[in-house]
Amino acid sequence: MSTVDYGREALDFIEGLGAYTKVPDAMDALATAFGRYGFEHIIVTGLPNPDQRFSQMVLAKKWPAEWFSLYTQKGYDRVDPVIRKCRQTVNPFEWSEAPYDPDQEPGAVEVMRRAADFRMSRGFVVPIHGLTGYEAGVSLGGVHLDLNARSKPALHLIGMYGFDHIRRLLEPAPDRSMRLTPREREALAWASQGKSAWEIGEILHITQRTAEEHLATAARKLGAVNRTHAVAIAIRHRIITP
Amino acid sequence: MIHVISSVNRHLYEDVLEQHFRVRHEIFVEERKWEALRKPDGREVDTYDNEDAVYLLALENRRVLGGSRLYPTTKPTMMSEVFPHLAAVRGCPSNPLVWEWSRFFVTRERRDGAFNWQLMAGAQEFCLDQGIERLCLVMETWWLPRFHEIGFVVTPLGLPAMIENSWTMAATIEVRQESLDAVCDRIGMTKVLQQDGPRIDCVARANLCGLAAQRKSA
Repeated sequence: MSTVDYGREALDFIEGLGAYTKVPDAMDALATAFGRYGFEHIIVTGLPNPDQRFSQMVLAKKWPAEWFSLYTQKGYDRVDPVIRKCRQTVNPFEWSEAPYDPDQEPGAVEVMRRAADFRMSRGFVVPIHGLTGYEAGVSLGGVHLDLNARSKPALHLIGMYGFDHIRRLLEPAPDRSMRLTPREREALAWASQGKSAWEIGEILHITQRTAEEHLATAARKLGAVNRTHAVAIAIRHRIITP
Repeated sequence: MIHVISSVNRHLYEDVLEQHFRVRHEIFVEERKWEALRKPDGREVDTYDNEDAVYLLALENRRVLGGSRLYPTTKPTMMSEVFPHLAAVRGCPSNPLVWEWSRFFVTRERRDGAFNWQLMAGAQEFCLDQGIERLCLVMETWWLPRFHEIGFVVTPLGLPAMIENSWTMAATIEVRQESLDAVCDRIGMTKVLQQDGPRIDCVARANLCGLAAQRKSA
């Protein structure tokens, strides 16, 4: 295929992703798309911090069950050079490009060798780095891969869109009741600065009564027991900035 | 606040614009090493810094902390002239309701997530107000998850390619009230723009640029 063919196929797939409204359907579609490049296994996952467990970070996967249990039981995520490199770069890479020292890191040798036992002798990773510092990645494995300078940009883009789609499907629908009106938010922001309802009324050019109503509605929407509690919740959820 | 600066109110901002060209040189050339943009006078100015550009600059006591630039796609754009291969699949937009978004920057001292979001909110707020429907842009591909995180609808125009050692792609971003609400919710602000002096009408301006281009080619 030419670069433009790869591009058209990838973009058509990305534009069609929205049609999959359930995670298993979206994963099946991704498996088919990545399968065209020879990939047999997919994992969509956040990268665990030292105090997090790998199994809790996985968003979706098509991995051999036996490999997943081996990977988690042995704590391979702690020694996997692919995970290490995924944290350090925003560029997609082949597993073989994740460096490790075979003499000093027997764990890394083991995880790479065992992966090959499960038909994952080669692989490709698309790292995802969010603005608030979350780290994630889409990792693809297989044996006979169509992995070259023309296919990699297509895999890069499908990986990023695939990640975003899975993430959004897993997110609980935003709680509409938590949504404050701009006025409620403003009133709450002033309350967080220690202003009374009378003062807030003066600042916002509304009556004290209206200011009180805004604060009461905001508190109710946030499930707060009083004004102070509402301010605390609003700051915690970054509805207002302290 | 983020100030809207265009040819119709730039007389209020000459000092700020001048400062902003120097900040751009500092960031794009000195820091990010886009050597093609290097200028002997230390002002990063290109072909698209002309009377049709609109700047959204975050100012604090007239000090430039970040910003971006908007440019009508009814004229030749950076995407269509410099990076058309990035839009090889879907083509470069040319439409009065689509404006090119470029030169997004944040000064070193303000590189926290919330400030980035303010600049993103500024672009959405401005376009909604102007009736611009989409932004198009050339960006480093690692920006994509950031836009996704904030809920922007981003559509690729082609595949990423390696440019100056970074994976780079062309895309459009939908201008939507929901996108603005989502980012405003995050930063806890209802409005980020400040518009002083006369206001530009972007779509009329883009239409005019389109007519001029027609006349030239006729």
